Amino acid sequence: MAADVHKKGGDVPNGSLVPKDGRHAERSESPTPGLAQGTEPGAGQEGAMFVHAQSYEDLTSTENPDATVQIPGGREDAQSDQTKIEEISKDFSKLSTQLTGIALDLEEEMRQSKEDKQDLSPKASRRDSVLSGKEDEGVSMDAWHMHQKHVFVLSEAGKPVYSRYGSEEALSSTMGVMMALVSFVEVQKNAIRSIHADGYKVVFVRRSPLVLVAVARTRQSEQEIAQELLYIYYQILSLLTLTQLNRIFQQKQNYDLRRLLAGSERITDNLLDLMARDPSFLMGAARCLPMASGVRDIVSTCLQQAKAKSLVFAILLAKNQLVSLVRKKDQFLHHIDLHLLFNLISSSSSFREGEAWTPICLPKFNSSGFFSAHISYLEQDTDLCLLLISTDREDFFTVSDCKRKFQDRLKKRGVYQALLEALHTPFYSVSQVGIPFLRHFIYKSKSSGLFTSPEIEAPYITEKEKERLLGLYQYLHSRAHNSSRPLMNIYYTGSHENLLAWVTNAFELYVCFSPLGTKAAAVSAVHKLMRWIRKEEDRLFILTPQTY
Amino acid sequence: MAAAAAAGGGGGGGPEKPLAPALLSFFIYNPRLGSKEGEEEKKILLYYPNEVEKNEKIRSVGLCEAIVQFTRTFSPLKPAKSLHTQKNRQFFNEAEENFWMVMVVRNPVIGKQKDGKPTVEYQEEELLDKVYSSVLQQCYNMYKLFNGTFRKAMEDGGVKILKERLEKFFHRYLQTLHLQSCDLLDVFCGISFFPLDKMTYLRIQSFINKMEESLSIVKYTAFLYNDQLIWSGLEQDDMRILYKYLTTSLFPRHIEPELAGRDSPIHAEMPGNLQHYGRFLTGPLNVNDPEAKCRFPKIFVNTEDTYEELHLIVYKAMSAAVCFMIDASIQPTLEFCRKLDSIVGPQLTVLASDICEQYNINKRMAGSEKEPQFKFIYFNHMNLAEKSTIHMRRTSNISLASVHPDLMKILGDINSDFTRVDDDEEIIVKAMSDYWIVGKKSDQRELYVILNQKNANLIEVNEEVKKLCATQFNNIFFLD
Repeated sequence: MAADVHKKGGDVPNGSLVPKDGRHAERSESPTPGLAQGTEPGAGQEGAMFVHAQSYEDLTSTENPDATVQIPGGREDAQSDQTKIEEISKDFSKLSTQLTGIALDLEEEMRQSKEDKQDLSPKASRRDSVLSGKEDEGVSMDAWHMHQKHVFVLSEAGKPVYSRYGSEEALSSTMGVMMALVSFVEVQKNAIRSIHADGYKVVFVRRSPLVLVAVARTRQSEQEIAQELLYIYYQILSLLTLTQLNRIFQQKQNYDLRRLLAGSERITDNLLDLMARDPSFLMGAARCLPMASGVRDIVSTCLQQAKAKSLVFAILLAKNQLVSLVRKKDQFLHHIDLHLLFNLISSSSSFREGEAWTPICLPKFNSSGFFSAHISYLEQDTDLCLLLISTDREDFFTVSDCKRKFQDRLKKRGVYQALLEALHTPFYSVSQVGIPFLRHFIYKSKSSGLFTSPEIEAPYITEKEKERLLGLYQYLHSRAHNSSRPLMNIYYTGSHENLLAWVTNAFELYVCFSPLGTKAAAVSAVHKLMRWIRKEEDRLFILTPQTY
Repeated sequence: MAAAAAAGGGGGGGPEKPLAPALLSFFIYNPRLGSKEGEEEKKILLYYPNEVEKNEKIRSVGLCEAIVQFTRTFSPLKPAKSLHTQKNRQFFNEAEENFWMVMVVRNPVIGKQKDGKPTVEYQEEELLDKVYSSVLQQCYNMYKLFNGTFRKAMEDGGVKILKERLEKFFHRYLQTLHLQSCDLLDVFCGISFFPLDKMTYLRIQSFINKMEESLSIVKYTAFLYNDQLIWSGLEQDDMRILYKYLTTSLFPRHIEPELAGRDSPIHAEMPGNLQHYGRFLTGPLNVNDPEAKCRFPKIFVNTEDTYEELHLIVYKAMSAAVCFMIDASIQPTLEFCRKLDSIVGPQLTVLASDICEQYNINKRMAGSEKEPQFKFIYFNHMNLAEKSTIHMRRTSNISLASVHPDLMKILGDINSDFTRVDDDEEIIVKAMSDYWIVGKKSDQRELYVILNQKNANLIEVNEEVKKLCATQFNNIFFLD
């Protein structure tokens, strides 16, 4: 994985590595693992649209202050640390002593630990002591235990910010314990990562001033779960900016962030639901709406021509699939930012009502400032949504005019109908590939940051089955991308399906076969599939992205 | 934790010099023993290293209790088994009700230069949970084999006795853990069986029957050859841990006199019977010495139901070893030992040389094949049978794998993936080092193969493994 970093030059100011523009490479007919990055099927001929991202880069980059530890040199802090340790640990041993009064009645137990919490730290003690009267899905209910993935966000004072299931009030004591665990490990100059038990794991992600915790019963790796938590973190930043978030907690440590985030829970809920069924997040890539390249090119040109000075990105999408993306020259979008935008649009139907003009932070692009986003559907009853990102919040009318110009051009060039037709077939069937035993696949071009995948068909009909299939891909992905023991090829034979993963510097391919297929058939199927993707690449990918 | 910081700091000295995983602490506590505030120290039954300051001991125990209690919120019956932090991993095991054993292992460390300053980087993905959880479970099993259960000690003499026994046992045992070389074999903790033809097997069977008849106080017998098991009268789980003790501790300690041979000075110091090669590995060194002590180690078996306490007599002639276990209420006398020596010694010597001959014939027949291109580990959960061509002969608790540690870890990863579902599964992977690794699970059996054929493709690898299964495991059905 390190290899593909060095292949490309071009350091950009934000420190990310972006493939060079205008790269014309020879495109081979039959792709092989030796394929250089930038020549694989789906690689953009005119350069990439996205920041070149590594898997789990956020988890391994220097953004994570705990990744390396300084050798303790000076002893200046030692004194204050010592007292801090003593203070916390004193409270802590009290907590654990009381926690062990093993109460069979969980509710009783929770209430007690809540009381324990109160003397845990002076910061946390000023919690609203009123337990919410409503019998929400509290900690004591069986249904609450059964959820596949719990997600909690809390402030460093242990105050609840978000909980996926159950009211934050009812769970405030649980979150208090989480914070206590985090700080207990931290005073020992260490960092808590995760807790593992039979059938589930608890993953902690620390992004000051927030702490994010997931309790997951899925097959995902710790890193994959942590990556999802980071998405939640960025989702919060997209509403507030990091600068504002820091300022709030600097001013008031036990600020109740829910006040500021009121109404956004739906967006976060939607993001979590989306991550459980859309492979875009796992792949760290975007999926394109399949359409004839001629049509797409004209659409892109129309979009490019409807420009305004303040526009940075113009994105046309349909149901979380990319139709076209135009960016300012030298500016690259990060796939995480794009996914957050997709999620924002898919989590509300109100954007269909008219033109929305909303401030939004693209945290991976710039976590300290807001852009203004113009969001509107081309027509109320189509799925085509236009997203125009502007740097000037006073520029609504200019940007709105861009939309009008774009629509006019589409009609003038006669591609609007073709565009609408492409919407009728947002997914292709795997049978089009013409390979027996092939059930489904995901192919990602690393240099373009785009992936393609057919519709999920029988036997993966129910939501549960679909999530199981994604779970299998998550499993393959986690093994292939294991940070200390990466794998290049995986062939898995199970009783319900056979799976294959193939990861090279240039692409990633995950394939699902019927359990009746043989390995020999799978090997030849993969070569056939790669040829098919090459043949169809101009329909499945955006090969010629436009810039302003 | 102070130990962690110190070790980490020390590791920064030499650049790029990796520090192996190490045991930071090991403790046993019972939260019921000090449930009042201010009495937390009473919970702690054992703490290694003992020099650690009292408050830190209490803090470490407090963290474990809090973690376990916290996870009960999400799954009341399945609390935490491990805690991952940047610097270390902690493994929890409730060995007996309310008795918790905790092992804290430091992540491997690499010293690095960053901005001209020496820093250390913890390798957080190197330790495998299943391996170290199994090591912790074995710690308990080994303690129980020689001391009985924690609860029994509490009944016998309360906290004081239990603490003494724990201290006495673990003081020595923890030194032998060798955490850096633990791998998949520790997860299986299996038994290697000696392959034998029917006739020889029946001869051994009849030998055991005869011996049990003539030495009527013998309750259980086990027969091993070449550190491999042939027959055992014990329950599987008891035999499993006894086997581990014999092959990793007792036999290696007695290997030198054997290697030295009969005429060497070492052997000369033990004037045994010249009629045979038999000798006691536990108990009297020389039965002809009237002062010889007939003290045998005590072991505890069937602790779940009948709770039996036994004397363990291990007697060996050449490569054949027999374990005779007799009820602890009967004290074996020197006279009994002499009788055993005179009956068992000559017969076992003959038997051992016959097995050896048979073994060499078999080896010669199989030896015609050329060196295989693969190495494998096989384990059967039903009879605990284990076979590894990856590991050299195990000596004093260190199993030396002959392949790169990363490959062993991939085997561990595959094994932990297998445990998630009960279905039959097979997985073939190609690692970055170009090695192919195959894992197969069928019914209760698991097979792992490492192939050193860098240019092979998936189909060739599959053929290679098919051949292996056909020659080595022809009666086992594996998913294709």
